[in-house]
Amino acid sequence: MKRWIALIFAALIVAVMFLPAVSIHPHSQLAEDVKSAFPDSLSLFDVATKGSGALPTDKIPALGSMDMRGFTLLLGAGLLILGALLCLVKKRGALQAAAVLSLFSVGVFLYEAFYLGSLSESLLYQLLLAPQAWIWAPLVIAIAQTAIVFVLIMKEDSLGLSDSAWRRISGALSIAAAALMLLPAFTSSVPETITDNPAAAKAMTISSSVITQALAEEPILSAIGAETGAFDNVLSGDIAALEPLSADGNNIAGIFQITKQSATPDVLLIAALAFLVLSGILAFIPAVDRWFPLSFSAIGTVFLLIQSASLMSTTSADMFTNASRQLYRLGVGCPTLVPIAMAVLSICGCMCAAVGVRAANSPYFVSPIPKKSALRLTALTIAVAAVVMLVLPGIQFDFYKPGKTKSVSTVLMSGADAVTLTTPADITEPKDNKGKTMYSEEAGKTEYTDLMIKDKMQRIARTYQITTIMILAFALCGIAALILKTHKKLPIIFFSLALLLKLLSYILTAAGMPTDVGTVGGTVFTYVSFPLLLFAAFFSNFAHMEELPKKYKLFLMMLPFLAAAFLFSYLPLYGWSYAFFNYKFGIPMSQQEYVGFKWFSELVMNAGHRANMMRVMSNTFAMSGLNIITSWLPMVFAILLNEVTKTRFKKFVQIFTTLPNFISWTLVFSFAMAMFAMDTGIYSKFMLATGAISEPVAWLNSSEHIWIKMWAWNTWKGLGWGAIMYLAAIAGIDQELYEAARVDGAGRWKQMRFITLPGLLPTFFVLLLLSISNIINNGMEQYLVFQNSMNKDTIEVLDLYVYNITIASTSANTYSFGTAIGILKTVFSVTLLFAANFVSKKLRGESIV
Amino acid sequence: MTTKAPINERLHKRRKNKVKLSGWDIAFNIFNYTILSLITIACVFPFYYLFINTISSNELVRLGQIQLYPREIHFENYVQVFKLSGIADATLVSISRTALGTAWTVAGSAFLGYLVTKHEMWLRTLWYRLIIITMYFSAGLIPWYINLKNLGFLDNFWVYVIPGLVSPYNVILVKTFIEGLPSSLEESAMLDGAGYTRVFASVIVPLITPILATLCIFCAVGQWNSFTDTMMLMPSGKFYTLQYMLYRYQHEAQSLAALVRTTQNTGAIANLAVKQTALSVQMTVAMVVVFPILMVYPFFQRYFVKGIMIGAVKG
Repeated sequence: MKRWIALIFAALIVAVMFLPAVSIHPHSQLAEDVKSAFPDSLSLFDVATKGSGALPTDKIPALGSMDMRGFTLLLGAGLLILGALLCLVKKRGALQAAAVLSLFSVGVFLYEAFYLGSLSESLLYQLLLAPQAWIWAPLVIAIAQTAIVFVLIMKEDSLGLSDSAWRRISGALSIAAAALMLLPAFTSSVPETITDNPAAAKAMTISSSVITQALAEEPILSAIGAETGAFDNVLSGDIAALEPLSADGNNIAGIFQITKQSATPDVLLIAALAFLVLSGILAFIPAVDRWFPLSFSAIGTVFLLIQSASLMSTTSADMFTNASRQLYRLGVGCPTLVPIAMAVLSICGCMCAAVGVRAANSPYFVSPIPKKSALRLTALTIAVAAVVMLVLPGIQFDFYKPGKTKSVSTVLMSGADAVTLTTPADITEPKDNKGKTMYSEEAGKTEYTDLMIKDKMQRIARTYQITTIMILAFALCGIAALILKTHKKLPIIFFSLALLLKLLSYILTAAGMPTDVGTVGGTVFTYVSFPLLLFAAFFSNFAHMEELPKKYKLFLMMLPFLAAAFLFSYLPLYGWSYAFFNYKFGIPMSQQEYVGFKWFSELVMNAGHRANMMRVMSNTFAMSGLNIITSWLPMVFAILLNEVTKTRFKKFVQIFTTLPNFISWTLVFSFAMAMFAMDTGIYSKFMLATGAISEPVAWLNSSEHIWIKMWAWNTWKGLGWGAIMYLAAIAGIDQELYEAARVDGAGRWKQMRFITLPGLLPTFFVLLLLSISNIINNGMEQYLVFQNSMNKDTIEVLDLYVYNITIASTSANTYSFGTAIGILKTVFSVTLLFAANFVSKKLRGESIV
Repeated sequence: MTTKAPINERLHKRRKNKVKLSGWDIAFNIFNYTILSLITIACVFPFYYLFINTISSNELVRLGQIQLYPREIHFENYVQVFKLSGIADATLVSISRTALGTAWTVAGSAFLGYLVTKHEMWLRTLWYRLIIITMYFSAGLIPWYINLKNLGFLDNFWVYVIPGLVSPYNVILVKTFIEGLPSSLEESAMLDGAGYTRVFASVIVPLITPILATLCIFCAVGQWNSFTDTMMLMPSGKFYTLQYMLYRYQHEAQSLAALVRTTQNTGAIANLAVKQTALSVQMTVAMVVVFPILMVYPFFQRYFVKGIMIGAVKG
């Protein structure tokens, strides 16, 4: 049964082929008859069956040179359908084959989507084609099918092959992936249709393999005069117009030329190749632990993926010079399937190796590293990473022009510089972006001279040099001690010393420069090196223990979450300091103007601000207050609902009254716009019909009764949802109470009044207290969507007001003011919360926080 | 006659029904059913109203003649709306952020919720409080915005996903749920040599699926509905979501009208009944946005009650 799901995907892929994938907007300069010859949109099916023929090549011959490459689509669809069909075959290995086929189709579709998408970037296509989201649909379907097939494989546990067979397969795949590097990854050619000389055009064809790109000089096809706009004639296929451009009258040789660009060796690609080959070879040597081929192929795959992504996008930027690029996109400079195939092969290889390891370790997972040395290895890895960070650029000088606050010059200095620098005199003084000196040459004109700055920089550099050398020495000693296992406590001492020294170095260097000249700070590598050294010390401390204590293990698992909480919740608190400055964007804090409590006092002292705040606060309190005053409504609703004896009706009501809670305020506003439209809405029509109003009323565009209107929408949205809590509470009331009441002759009303209602009051009380403590936080979404120029004065609540005067406004000077309001708001609501909690504790003996 | 049968709910009700209803009871019932029906209709009617306006003749809609039932039904609006530039991309962004954001947040909350139940953790209470306390304060709009800007999250798709990793409320829900489980299961797994991650994946997760389902719904609905983050954090117009497109259509009617003009082939659609107007586009997009919620809602309705019940018991 589950295998049939794959077939559904096969059907889907056929279906999406017919959806419009590329819409076409003919260029306005084209003649009317040419324009009308263009179809509105192309479906993937059109692309697959007709290729570039789907466009009017008879009107614009140049279009014919554009290769739509429909065959890849057909190939992908074919592979995917074949994979789906294979799922139905109940033979060993059929599912695996289906998985591989589906995976390949993922690659093919990925390529196709990128390719079609990239066509639209070219000059010609920008005017004509706009890819739609459907272009990605085949890819999504292929990925889904692949995932399903893999789940099927895992479910049925028919791994089928033995672990050594998997191992050999992975080796073969890795080597195949590496071998693909020799095949052409790019072809670039001159479109034959824009020349008289097809043979010469053919001779211009270049193809370069991945490996040549990684190692050798890259041949580049470029066009002369592309930037002059002369190639616009290509649109009309006017070859003769190109001839003047050509030096020798032969429009190919003169316009196009092949040059070589010396490429810097691509380290990642070479490393990927090395890892893949290595894992391929190791996979065939049974004596080697099976973890090695797996990890090597994983590393190689990651490198390759990083690179193949950039290879795929190379067409748009690097492969051709910018000017000629537009022309070449006519049909040249396209990545072939090779980079993608390489990536797919290596992923497959990696997965096969993983399956092999899993099969060999089944049912228990055996770690490749013995537990005893695991921590030592961890410490070692981290320490090496720390050393690498120490060598990378670690200190950054930012300079400002005298009196200006924008950074104009940045000087970076790395740990490697610090070690190799013979003398800090090699440090040059800061130059602005025009290469001029930034401070005056002689003393007296400004406060600082270049010589003084240079002197300061040299001193800082000297400090940095000495400390860095010492830190590196300590870290290396720590690593040596770890490897040699000389003394248990030695590594931790070394790493701790390195960490302390690093902190000291940071403080010393950062303090060395006067703040009005520039700042000296660490780079990201410096900041990363702190925790790395800390962890190195931490783990080397446990290296001699049998195992890391559980409490630390758990803490380490917790660490990423704490880091996230810090980044997204605690780090913003630093922004509270903006309230004490005249904060402007793009300037470091040290350069901001300090204003003290100016913004806070302005809230009260400045008449304009005070009036605004009074207005906003009265809106806030009024609308929150209305909601709080009527917060018993959900309770009554729940009681009424509970009195319904017909379960089906009860369920029906509950389901549909909860629904509004799950739609966004934009949607609510859509309803409002439709129903309360001035002329057409049902509200107007109804009121006119009943004679309640004599002419249509602008219900939304008015400030009348806006508080009540907002309250009504809020209640509409929240009534059913709010009742759920009370219904749950009612379900918790002891049924025997009702039983006893009935025996005593209490009627329905009395049961409601004396049992249900008192049973709900505690819940009501808690919710009431919580909503009172949230009185100032009524959010902004509702008021934002209902806001317009007519009702702005009465609808602006605090949150909305802050948004309106800061992010939504064009002036950038209100950020500090907005922050000040935010601070007061947080302090106020936290105080309220504690007060509410206090009240709750006093009255009920229970806290609500 | 089974006189000894326990008094279950049904018997209970039957007996209650047998009691002759008084006149007041009947009056109350009529009142009750009427008012509940009215509330239900009030809740459902806007959905219906919007829907009939999108499938009726656009010309009649423009004249305000579609009020209670559809006329001249056609579905051209739905076909055309996906041809508007940006809608298809926005759909993709909305779906991606909902899927990825939900998976990320729920996985994060589940694992974190599990971790904070481990009393042997170093300084557990401190870390737990540090996480929970973030629920009660916020740094405010501007520091939040500038912080995300400094972290490079402006115009970045991942701002929809990554900051959702730690959500204190969800953590409390999961923690409360796990604490309600018998600890013997976990202990026996530990005795068999499973580590924390293994216990979490193989023992805890299967047991807490009900609460995870609840979280999934809340999270997915939240992601799908959110639009203010797009509004503030995507200044250069990348990664717009459907909700934000809808918001813009509502508030920038002129740009919408221009969009409708340029996108549609005026020559081809001369028929006013199916010709798109700014109003029809706005309403159709709204229907497209609400549709997934309407589809998913009935299946997951039963989880809400469970979720809110657990939520009521705060940790």
